[in-house]
Amino acid sequence: MNVTDSLTVARLRLVGITIGVLAVLGAVLSGIFDVDLSRLITRGFVTRSLEMATPITLAAIGGLYAEKSGVFNIGLEGFMIFGAFTTAGTMFALGGTSPTQGDVWVAILVAIVVSTLLTAVFAVLLIRYKADQIVAGLAVWFVGLGFAPFVAALVWGSRSSPGLTSIDKLAFGQSPLVFLTIVVVGVAWVFLFRTRYGYWVQAAGENPEALDTAGVDVNRVRYATVIFSGAMAGFGGAVLLAHAGNFVGTGSTMVDGRGWIAIVAYLFGNYNPVGAAAAALLFGALDMLNVQFQTVGIEISARLVNLLPYVAVLVVLTAYGKTRIPAVVGEPYETEE
Amino acid sequence: MSDSEAASNGGGVLDAVAARLLDASVLERIGIAVASTTLAILIGLVVAAATGYDPVQFASQLLVGAFGSERAIARTLRSTTLFVLTGVAVAIAFRAGVFNIGVQGQFVVGGFSTVVSIIWLAAFVPSGTVGGIVLMLSGTAAGVVTGGLYGALPGVMKAYGDANEIITTIMLNFIATGFVGWLVAGPFGDPEATATRTRRLPDNVELPQAVFGDPNLSIVGILLMLGVVALVAVITSRTRFGYDMVTSGYQDTAATYSGVDAKRMVISTMTFSGMVAGLTGALFVIMIQGYYTDPSGIGNYGFDAIAVSLLAANNPLGVLPAGLLFGGLESASSHVQINSDVPVQLIDGIVGLVVLFVAAPELFRMIAARTGLGGDAE
Repeated sequence: MNVTDSLTVARLRLVGITIGVLAVLGAVLSGIFDVDLSRLITRGFVTRSLEMATPITLAAIGGLYAEKSGVFNIGLEGFMIFGAFTTAGTMFALGGTSPTQGDVWVAILVAIVVSTLLTAVFAVLLIRYKADQIVAGLAVWFVGLGFAPFVAALVWGSRSSPGLTSIDKLAFGQSPLVFLTIVVVGVAWVFLFRTRYGYWVQAAGENPEALDTAGVDVNRVRYATVIFSGAMAGFGGAVLLAHAGNFVGTGSTMVDGRGWIAIVAYLFGNYNPVGAAAAALLFGALDMLNVQFQTVGIEISARLVNLLPYVAVLVVLTAYGKTRIPAVVGEPYETEE
Repeated sequence: MSDSEAASNGGGVLDAVAARLLDASVLERIGIAVASTTLAILIGLVVAAATGYDPVQFASQLLVGAFGSERAIARTLRSTTLFVLTGVAVAIAFRAGVFNIGVQGQFVVGGFSTVVSIIWLAAFVPSGTVGGIVLMLSGTAAGVVTGGLYGALPGVMKAYGDANEIITTIMLNFIATGFVGWLVAGPFGDPEATATRTRRLPDNVELPQAVFGDPNLSIVGILLMLGVVALVAVITSRTRFGYDMVTSGYQDTAATYSGVDAKRMVISTMTFSGMVAGLTGALFVIMIQGYYTDPSGIGNYGFDAIAVSLLAANNPLGVLPAGLLFGGLESASSHVQINSDVPVQLIDGIVGLVVLFVAAPELFRMIAARTGLGGDAE
C-alpha cells in the first residue's frame, strides 16, 4: 500500500469514526432520554463549540508542525497554561479589573511573545542539549502548573484572577478569534503542503540526512517548528483566556487537559491542519454538550458530561492509534561534519 | 508504510534512547540528580528574591519545615512513604519503557475502592482488632486489584490498539478524578457530613502509630514502603519477569528475539505498576485520611512520583532518597504555607524545574566540561 492509499484509508476511517461517535451519541440521546435533537443542536451550541475548539486547534497546529519536523513537543499543555496566565496578567497590568478591548488584543500579543521566548529555551534544551523530549515536555507542564499559580498568587493573592474581560463578539455572535483561527488553519495547510519551507519541515522529520545533503540545516528547521509550536500553544492559551475572561489556577488550571487533547487532535487529524481542526471541533462540541443537556433538561451531572472529551480521546486513540508518525520523531539530529 | 515498519521505527527510537541512558554510569546519574535538584532550588531562591522575599529565610523555612522538629520529621516521613510508593509504581513502568503517567488515577481509584469495600464489609465483620485487620487486608486487596485493573486498561489499549500510553493515562487521570469526585459527591457521599466526602472508616480500621506521636504516620506504613521497595528491586533485578521487563524497555528488539511477547509485557508491566499505585491509595486512606474526599484536592502524589522516579533514574532503590527529598519539600510547603508569605506554588515550580533538568543530562555534561569540574558529572 503506498502513501496516498494509506492516507485515503486514514481519511475514510477518520470520517467513519466521527460519524460513528455522533450517531451513537444521537441514538443514546433520542432513545433513552427522548430528546428532540433539533433542540439540542442549537446555534448557541455551535458558537460555543467553535469557541471551545479554537484553543485546541491552535495548539494542535503548533504541535503537528513540531512533530512533522521530528520533535515531539509534549509540553503543549504547559505552554497553554503560560499563554493563558500571561494574557490575564497583561490585561490586569494594563487595565486592572476592567481592561479595554485594545488591552485584550495587546495581552494576546504579549502572551505569544512570552511563550515564544520560553519555548526558545525549551528548544535549546531539546535540540542543543538533546533532552529527553517526553520527560522535558512533562516538565514544562509541571513548571506551568507551579509557576503560573505562583505568580497569580503574587499578583492577586489567590491562584485565580478576579473577573477581567472577555473579547467582544464580531459577526454572527462569533468571537473574532474564531475567524482568525480559521484563517490560521488555511495558512498552516498551504504552508505545510504547498511551499518549499513546508517540504523542509516534512523532510526534517522523514529523512533529515537528505535535507542535510540538500544544504538545509535540519536543526534550524527544528528550532523554527518547536518555537512555532510553543508560540501557537501560548496563543491557544491566550484565546482560551480571552473567551473565558478570567484566569483559573486551581487544580489542573483552566487549561485542564486541552493541551493533551490538542495532541490527540492532530494525531486524529493525521498531521493535517484541517483534519486537526475538525478533530478539535469534535472535542470542543463534546465539551460543550453539558450546557445543551441542561437547557433541554437532561439530568446528568455536569461533572460526568465534562468527562466526555477525555473518554472520546480514549476511544479515538484506541480505534485510530496507528497514525503514520514521521520516521525520526524523538531522535536528535547530529550534523555530519 | 506497513505496521511492522512503523513498529520497528518506534523500536529504533526507544533503543536509541535506551542506549543513551545506559551510557550514563551510576555515579554520573547521582551527580546529575544532585546537580538538577541544586540548580532547581537555586532558581527557586532567585525567584523568591526577585519577587521581594528573603531567599535565606525561605531556604531556612524549607529546612525547618522538613526536618526542624519531631512533628516536621513525622510529616516528612508520612509524605515520603506516599512519594516512595508512587515513585516505585512509576519506576516499574518507566524501566520497562512504558510511560505510565496514570499513577495518579490508579492511586485515586485504588484508594476509593479501599474505602468503599471496607465500609461495605464492615457490616459483616466483627468490631475489634481482629475485625479491623481483616477489613484492612481486604480493603488493601481491593485497592491493589482496582489500581492494577485501571493500569491494565491503558496497557491493553497500547498493546492491541496502539494507543499512546502517555495520552491515554493522562486522560484516565482526568476521568478518575472526575468520576470518583462525582461518586463521592453523589452515590457514595456521607449525607450527614457537611463536606463532600464518603462515610468514615470504622474505628477499628487503624494502624499502630510510629515512634513519633503522629496519628497519621504508622510504623506499618514505613515498613510496607521498605518492603515494597525491596520486593520490586528483587523482582526487577533477580527474576526472569523483571529481566524480560527491563530488556523489553531498553532493547526491545533483543527482547523479541529472545521470545518475550511484547504485547503481554506491556500489559503486565502496566498492571504491576497500577497495583503498586493502588496499594499506595489503600495506605493513604487507611493510614492518613480515614475516608475519601473529592480527589481533585488530595494532592498530586502520582504526578510528583514521575519526578521522584526520574530523579532516581527509575531505580527502585534510588526512589528512597528521591522520595525523601519530595517528602521533605511537601512537608516544607505546609510549613511555608502557614509561616511565610511566599506562595507555596513556588515549591511546585521547583519540582517542575527538577524534572526539566533531569531530562537534560547533556546540559550538565557540557557545564562540567566547560568549567573543568568533571568531578561529579563526568
